[in-house]
Amino acid sequence: MPTNMRSLIRSRWWMPGFCLFLGALMFTAFAIGGSPGDGAASFAVMAVMGAVFLFGRRSETLQGLGGPGRDERWEKIDVHATALSGLVTILFVLGAWLYEIANGHDGSPYGRIAAVAGVSYIIAVVALRRVS
Amino acid sequence: MRNEIRHLRTEAKLSQQQLAEAMAVSRQTINSIEKERYTPSLPLAIALAHFFDTTVEAVFHADEHA
Repeated sequence: MPTNMRSLIRSRWWMPGFCLFLGALMFTAFAIGGSPGDGAASFAVMAVMGAVFLFGRRSETLQGLGGPGRDERWEKIDVHATALSGLVTILFVLGAWLYEIANGHDGSPYGRIAAVAGVSYIIAVVALRRVS
Repeated sequence: MRNEIRHLRTEAKLSQQQLAEAMAVSRQTINSIEKERYTPSLPLAIALAHFFDTTVEAVFHADEHA
């Protein structure tokens, strides 16, 4: 990871800013869909999360998730947690796809999501094998 | 992986926080290394060994050979 990007992610403002950015996107999407009230509620939830990351300095978990506490150990934790959550998500999607098929449906959108997961995994393996 | 970090740190009269700042990692990472729950990367292991003016082999001991 480039040094500038690394220092940005380790900044205490990274995760609060990301939460606000995501909240703004959610508000915009809800507003376009005709539900600005739901959008405002979503933005408020994300703003609270951002505040928790910004002010929760005593917790190592919050510091690691939020950015300032990140070091090589946290990067390893992050990789393992990402892999675990990806595995759980893929297993859920596969289960939902099979459930939909067993109930006489076409399995969408789970089939497409599972396909994206499978293809992106293979692409990632090929790319990572080349650079390592 | 077994290591001598705690022994070397206390001998140098350093706190975990001071060593963490010198290594640009968190205090919790130093604590995890001392408790042998976390094996540091090779660059960090080399940096720790250089910091204590010794070698990586003298600081870290593999439990068994692969």
